[in-house]
Amino acid sequence: MANDREVLREIWDGKLPICFQLAQEEIMEIQQPDPFYVMVPRLSYFPLVTDKMKRHFLRFISQENADNEMWLDYNGQPLKWHYPIGFLYDLYCGIDPQLPWTLTVHFTKFPEDVLLHCPNKDVVEAHYMSTVKEADVLKHRGQVMSTMQKKDHNQLWLGLQNDKFDQFWAINRRLMESHGDNEGFKHIPIRIYSDDGSCFQRLVSPKNVDGSRKVLQQMIAELYPDKINIKLRTHGITLPLDTPLQWLSEHMSYPDNFLHLCVC
Amino acid sequence: MADDKQTEDSSTASEIKSDGDKENSDPGKSDKVKIDILLKATGNAPIMKKKKWAVDAEKPIGWIMEFVKKYLKLEPDEKLFLYVNQTFAPSPDQLVKNLYECFGTDGKLVLHYCKSQAWG
Repeated sequence: MANDREVLREIWDGKLPICFQLAQEEIMEIQQPDPFYVMVPRLSYFPLVTDKMKRHFLRFISQENADNEMWLDYNGQPLKWHYPIGFLYDLYCGIDPQLPWTLTVHFTKFPEDVLLHCPNKDVVEAHYMSTVKEADVLKHRGQVMSTMQKKDHNQLWLGLQNDKFDQFWAINRRLMESHGDNEGFKHIPIRIYSDDGSCFQRLVSPKNVDGSRKVLQQMIAELYPDKINIKLRTHGITLPLDTPLQWLSEHMSYPDNFLHLCVC
Repeated sequence: MADDKQTEDSSTASEIKSDGDKENSDPGKSDKVKIDILLKATGNAPIMKKKKWAVDAEKPIGWIMEFVKKYLKLEPDEKLFLYVNQTFAPSPDQLVKNLYECFGTDGKLVLHYCKSQAWG
């Protein structure tokens, strides 16, 4: 179980300054809208933090587009709302950090082939809970999530949505416990992304065949046998290669209980 | 669509082809990695006459959802949910390959489908 509580708190408190700008071709007023600046939690999702921004821009666009689904891009790259915000920043800006992160807001030309639709926050919640369940299948054969009550699931989601660390971790700590005789999870919930956004997910054990704890370097050697010098980044940090995977999973996972790592 | 002649318990999987997908008849392009998936109905969903299909490993889950909807002749506004391990609904942009690597058993990936949320 996680006991480096300061680390959990640091990760939770991670924030990004964002500058939202309305796409030029959508501005229907003579007066240009001011950009909208906001600090957002790295662990959150865009649909949870963009209500005010959306209202700010609505009066500058053609009213026939006001009910359209809003979407965001960075440098022409549409941003997937179902990935955590901090992960998206690491993926597209990790090598060349840019603050504030300037994003373009759109109300037309929704990129159907790239983005999933997000009509409301319930869709975000469903996606989030499903990912937590998948992670629990990998860690504990799904036994922790299935023995929790509905109110526990709600508390997890509300803790994340309302940025309440204690509320969230009161439940999440149970998902971070190891079961059985062995210290450690059955498998580590982990997704590794290339800079083109493609996702690579494999079964990764927290232990080596000889029972010793597996560190990041050993996992990289298994997953990428023919590549050298691969580094992985998450939460704005390039991870030390001697970090044990079990510790990494307990402390550096996103609230969806997955490690989201970017190849760099 | 691929042929329907085989029976349900057939051990060989037919390939899912998109409408107008001619590339599988081109021998030069038939070397794509395929993954066997088994589609099982649950709840109120109609069963599929043919359950076992071979799918391009690089396809996203959303593509399989569209295929099942078409196969079952669902209305465009009808919903379809797909589940892995009867536990979680993978994201439509997750790749079949990733799920097979993590949750495949006996050389295939089992997917349950239904028309209403079954496992939350």
